[in-house]
Order: sequence, then C-alpha cells, then structure tokens
Amino acid sequence: MSSTNISDISWYYDFPPFFTLQPNLDTRRKQLDAWCSLVLDYCRLKKIFTFDVNDAKKFPLFFNTKINRQLDNNFIQVLLEELRSRGNIEWQDKNKRHCLVLWKSIEEWAKTVHHWITSRGMNGTVCTFYELLYSDDTLSAEFHKIDENLFRRILMELERRGQATVFSDNGAEGVKFL
Amino acid sequence: MRRGVGISGINQQLLEKAKFNEKGSELARDHLDKLAKQFETFRDNLESFAEKHKNEIKKDIAFRRQFQEMCATVGVDPLASSKGFWSQALGVGDFYYELTVQIVEVCVATSSQNGGLISLDELLLRVRKARGKSRSAQDVSHDDILRAIKKLRILGDGFTVIEPANNQGRILIQSIPGELSMDHTAILNSLQTRSSFTVEQLREQFKWSDERIKTAIDFMIKEGLLWIDNNGRNIEYYFPGLFTAQRVTAGESV
Repeated sequence: MSSTNISDISWYYDFPPFFTLQPNLDTRRKQLDAWCSLVLDYCRLKKIFTFDVNDAKKFPLFFNTKINRQLDNNFIQVLLEELRSRGNIEWQDKNKRHCLVLWKSIEEWAKTVHHWITSRGMNGTVCTFYELLYSDDTLSAEFHKIDENLFRRILMELERRGQATVFSDNGAEGVKFL
Repeated sequence: MRRGVGISGINQQLLEKAKFNEKGSELARDHLDKLAKQFETFRDNLESFAEKHKNEIKKDIAFRRQFQEMCATVGVDPLASSKGFWSQALGVGDFYYELTVQIVEVCVATSSQNGGLISLDELLLRVRKARGKSRSAQDVSHDDILRAIKKLRILGDGFTVIEPANNQGRILIQSIPGELSMDHTAILNSLQTRSSFTVEQLREQFKWSDERIKTAIDFMIKEGLLWIDNNGRNIEYYFPGLFTAQRVTAGESV
C-alpha cells in the first residue's frame, strides 16, 4: 500500500494546535472527538489491532514530522482513556501497557464471522483456531490474520450467543459452529 | 399587475447612463439603445429580455452579473421576493432562496469546527458540493454567495461579511451569535493569508496593552474561534476557519 497521507484522513493532523490539549472544554471535546476518529480510521486502514504504550512515542499518528508537533505523555494518557471510555480500546493487562484496538466492536466482529461462516454453509462444522486465522481458505475473510487475542474474544462472544462452542483438544484450540 | 420596483423613480439621466453602460454585452447594448427613448417601452422590453434570456441568466455566471448590473443601473431589483414578477419570470428568487438555505446549512454544519468563521472560498466549495449532482446545469459564484448573504442580513445580524483591509487577505463570512468587536476584526485583518498569530505580533502591530490583548484572545477562545498551539517555544493562536481556508486554496481536503 502506498504511503497514506494522514492529513487526507483528517485535516486536523496537519493543524499544529491539534497536538496541544485545548484548555477550552468545548474545544477539547471536539478535539478528542477528532482524535478518536483519526485513531480508529488509521487503525482500520493499517489493520492495527493492538497497541503498546511503550511504542506510543514512535506511533506515526502521535508525531507529525512535517509540522514538528507531537502528543506529550499526558495527552496520550487522556486520549487512551477517552478511547477506553468509548469502548474502542480494551486493556489487556493491569498496568495498562497493552491494549486491543476495537475499531470494530466485538459484537460487530462476531456478526462478521458468523456471516462468513453461514454464507459458506459451514454451520455444524468444526475448525481449528489456527486454520480459521491463517489458512488460505480464509484469505477473503476480514478476520484473516487478525490478532489472536482479539479472535479469542470474538469466538467467546459467538459462544455467548449460542452460535458456536469453543473447546481445547490437547492444547489445540478449536471451535464448532452451530 | 406588474411590480415596477424602482422604475417610478427613474429619470432620464439614469436611462442615458444605462444606454452607455460599457459593461453590458453587445445584445444588452443593442436593446438599451432601442429602449432609451420610451420609458414604458424600456421597462416592457427589459422584462421580456429577462424572460427571453431566463436560462442564460440562470446558467451563466458572467451573464447573470451583467444582467444584475444593468438592472441596478435602472433601479430594478431582480432578487425581489418570490411574489414578484422577476422571480416568477426568471425563477431567480428561487435560485437565491435555495442558495441562502444552502449557505446557512454549510455554516451551521461547519461552525463546530471553525467557531462560525469561514472563508468565502471554503463556503463556495462546500455549497457547490452540496448542490452537486442534482444541479448539474447551474454553477454558483462568489458574487452569488455575497448577494445571497446580503439578503440574509435583512433577516437579522446572524451573518456578516468581513472584507480584508486593502484587499490583502481573504473575504470571511461570520455566522456566530457573539458579535466580533473591532479589535477582533483588526486581528483577523492583520493576518492576511496567515491563520495564526502570537501575543508578540499583536503587541508590535497594534501597541495594545496586555489586558486588551488578553480580553480579545479570551473571547475568541471561549467562542471556539481560536485554538492554542503550545509548541514549547512560544504560544501561537490559530483560527481553524482560516487554516482550512488555506487548504481549500491549496486544493487539499477539508
């Protein structure tokens, strides 16, 4: 994929004040709205499913070299907390270093998987976790090669809905679609 | 019954002036030459001229402006309300009415982004986008927007046109509830094509007290017109409406 001009996703990215947490609360609200949209659009485009806070400084979105502006640590924390409160990220550890990025909700992902399976008449079949994620058979699927933790969450959601059962056989994870 | 808006106030001098109006097209000049002698005949012919060239007036920006200037010369207002002859004959009342609605829609939609301050260029771009596919035949000009806004001002103070001082800079449309003071306008005009300023720059340019500068800045921040850029070296204040105006000029996305 050719390099994306991030400012084509959002003109705010090239707007220097965008990288300063605005003191006026109404303006800050708009700023955070724009940042959240930008993060999700960017991650959707680049198929980014996880984020590590240790990498925050190097994350292209948080540092615009063209205008020489970057988010400071405080702003990054505020932004991550805003995304969490909107259900767009989920912390994977107690220390809040590593998170899942949900530019699509778990429920929407479950629908996507269920639809893909059903449209191929695969109800009632058993698949391994790995073949669903990595085999060539699922190349056309949106969930092909997504993050494993995310995929586990999606399968658990399907189980919760009664659309699948998840099991483990000698360490190999599998799922039966109902 | 015909509405002769302004016609009764016309005197011979104006008719002479119209006759020699160099800005008119060949066709208009021919018509004007013929009509100069008889006032009633002149008005009748102006009306049928309008009727005959209705489509060109609607579709051709340059022709429309020439026609309006011709009308203005003889004191006729073709933008009269939809009950008038002109709007019925030409449909121009509808044209400007629709345009006005579109302008208001764009300003309302973008005001959360720019605090109610938008450049004429960006407004035109967005209005054209809104008119897009269903109005393929008609184009809209800067002139049309300004005329429509002038009409809007009859309804109240909601909209103001801010012209750049000495033609150095952009024409801006303000649609915010809180009125901009002369200090605010002075700051805007001092920027020309830039979209930001520092306190230092204001001090140097205007020699205002810090108190006065702070008052002006605080108001604009409160209204959502200004964002703060604290880049570590100094604090700079940006108008998002002017920043996007520059992007529009550069052909970049907004």
